[in-house]
Amino acid sequence: MLTERVINWLDERIDLTGIRHFIAEKTVPVHAHKVWYYMGGMTLFLLIVQVVTGILLLLYYRPSAEEAYESVQFIVSQVQFGWLIRNVHSWSANLLILVAFVHMFSTFFMRAYRKPREITWISGVLLLFLMMTFGFSGYLLPWNELAFFATKVGTGIAGAVPFVGDFLVRFLRGGDDVTGATLTRFYGLHVAVLPMVMTGLLMIHLLLVQRQGMSVPLGVERAVRNGQPLKQMPFFPNYVLRDVLAWYVGLALLAALALFYPWELGTKADAFAPVPAGIRPEWYFLAMFQALKLLPAHILGFEGEMLGVLGFSAAAGLLLFVPFLDRRASEGKANRLLTVAGVLAVVYLVVFTIYGYVAA
Amino acid sequence: MPRVEFRKRARVTVLALGIWLVAYGPARAGQAPGSQPAVGCITCHEGLADARLSAPAVDEPGDVHGARGFTCLVCHGGDGTSQDQARAHDRARGFRGKPAAAAVTEVCARCHSDAEFMRRYAPRQRVDQASEYATSVHGQQLARGDTKVATCVSCHGAHGIRMVSDAKSPVFPLNVSATCSRCHADAAHMAGYVLPDGSPLPTDQHELYERSVHYAALTKANDLSAPTCNDCHGNHGAAPPGVGAVVNVCGTCHAVFSSKFALSTHSQIFDRGCVECHSNHEVLQPSDAMLGTDEPALCITCHGEGDNGYEAARTMRSDIDRLKEAIDASVALVGRAANAGMEMSDEELSLREARNHLTLARTEVHTFDLPSVQKVIQEGFDVTASVDQAGQAALDELSFRRTGLAVSLGAILLVVVALALKIREVDRTYGVRS
Repeated sequence: MLTERVINWLDERIDLTGIRHFIAEKTVPVHAHKVWYYMGGMTLFLLIVQVVTGILLLLYYRPSAEEAYESVQFIVSQVQFGWLIRNVHSWSANLLILVAFVHMFSTFFMRAYRKPREITWISGVLLLFLMMTFGFSGYLLPWNELAFFATKVGTGIAGAVPFVGDFLVRFLRGGDDVTGATLTRFYGLHVAVLPMVMTGLLMIHLLLVQRQGMSVPLGVERAVRNGQPLKQMPFFPNYVLRDVLAWYVGLALLAALALFYPWELGTKADAFAPVPAGIRPEWYFLAMFQALKLLPAHILGFEGEMLGVLGFSAAAGLLLFVPFLDRRASEGKANRLLTVAGVLAVVYLVVFTIYGYVAA
Repeated sequence: MPRVEFRKRARVTVLALGIWLVAYGPARAGQAPGSQPAVGCITCHEGLADARLSAPAVDEPGDVHGARGFTCLVCHGGDGTSQDQARAHDRARGFRGKPAAAAVTEVCARCHSDAEFMRRYAPRQRVDQASEYATSVHGQQLARGDTKVATCVSCHGAHGIRMVSDAKSPVFPLNVSATCSRCHADAAHMAGYVLPDGSPLPTDQHELYERSVHYAALTKANDLSAPTCNDCHGNHGAAPPGVGAVVNVCGTCHAVFSSKFALSTHSQIFDRGCVECHSNHEVLQPSDAMLGTDEPALCITCHGEGDNGYEAARTMRSDIDRLKEAIDASVALVGRAANAGMEMSDEELSLREARNHLTLARTEVHTFDLPSVQKVIQEGFDVTASVDQAGQAALDELSFRRTGLAVSLGAILLVVVALALKIREVDRTYGVRS
């Protein structure tokens, strides 16, 4: 077999014993909640789709206020399969964040962040934040009306940050207002800075997952401690084949969504046009956006929006450092308070996202 | 202090006071140059029981003359400082009372026809109202001794006169037709007035105008540039447009239609120009139904079956209808492709161009020249043909994409089935272990 000959050829030169051993020995725990393990793989798959389709879009996209909209229009109407690439990129971006959220919450509820996987958790949460930043910056790139005004509102929220708010707004926009300068810096962020940071973080995240293996829920861990055997399946080929099967299903879903629900391009951004009705950010920011809208102008003498932004920043900080806040988990004990907090967070995100859509 | 020094200082003080009074006095008093205080007028008149006499004594906000310091005396004369009626109303002191209808224009014109005087208050305002008025039907009737006709005060009011731009002014565009109709819709008032052909002057102009597209534009769309009475008849020089001038009058706004019509044979035939088809006061929303050979088309009013005009009207109408149908079909086709997610913005733009050609064709109808109309319509058809081609190509592409998706999904399904079988096999071989 050709594959075997190539492996043997490599083995003679770089000694693949370690990798052979790793592949032969690596296993994945089998239990009632093992379905959630596939979320990590699915996130990775969608991320790969993003990278591939993103590179293809780069071949035709032109990052300027004068040409951005027209270049996307050209991609979807003139470039062979350009419509497919653009729609898959847009759908995959949204599914990626959805799956990443599911992955994060499943990891949270299974307490997979407990010792010794604190760094895996932190790198994962940072990757989620990065993906949201990818989404925010990518949303503006087609330079259409909805994205233009949503970015205006979105970047304006940064102004509520105490002391450095004005600087942040100017930094994000590249001036006082959303202009072509904002587009070019969002483009740079989207295709250079974020991918670079993400590659590093992703490497750390994947390396740690491979190095430490899959975590098991507290209940399974207790059962193992009590002498029950831990069921496992070989990572290769049993688990990898299942992962690949899920990826194929994901690919089929992406293709169908791209064809039957193409991402609307809308009309070109015009700074002098009246603000269109129903301006709202992408769905994954909607819960925060809606909450900020509901806050009163002043709370105890402080600006409501400022307190809201500080509150969300604090929540993000808490999320990042959950492994160090939940000492009980590392002792193999459940923490009801965190479970309740997690459930409330999920309920808040779902309810406020739906509310945001209905209110708009 | 020596007497000479005291006199010198007194002279300087008086001189300074004089300069101060000249420079700031009138402005501080809020009086217009030449006007005199009318304290006496107000003191007596505001207490009078007759509202006609007491109302003018009360300051009315928005009164353009009062705001600039003009008092009763400017128009009525007399001694405004005296509360003695005999002295205040003394003809020898210039008292003229309520100016008679024939004298109103002269009273107003003393200021409003004085370019130098008006420049101090409203430098952009015209000063030819009185001479224009003299050319109007109103002015000519007045010159013949008819005191029922409108003078300045009939339209602008006598007291509490507001700027034309003031929405409360009776001559503000939205109020003009109501102001004119106070006399022109009053059958009793208009009795005796006749048209040049000797028939009685109608009094239904306002009623007809209220049904017009112009009135709708003015009052419903708040388009203050839409015409009201004075835009066609003139204001100070109000008169019906002459028969030959109608096209020019309509053409001040509808320039393209006017120029097209001027080139047509109908311009030589239609005595009343545009009015022949569109009416004058009751200008309704024009429609394609006005053109053609079927009721309610207007062409058959003059043209009969068999004559060239009849055939031209029938062809023009049918061509316009065909272009409309072609555009509707293209819109539906492009809509189907766009709703299915195809990028059709270029075609949507082209459809605007096709609609422009439809509008141009309707404009071209005013030349009453069939080849000219057909040329524009053909250009519209060319646009819809290219749009249809692109729309059909988009639908074909969509069909190709769907087929491609079906094939891809089939291939993926095969791989998934193969993977599932492989998983069963490897599970049996390597299985779950403890």
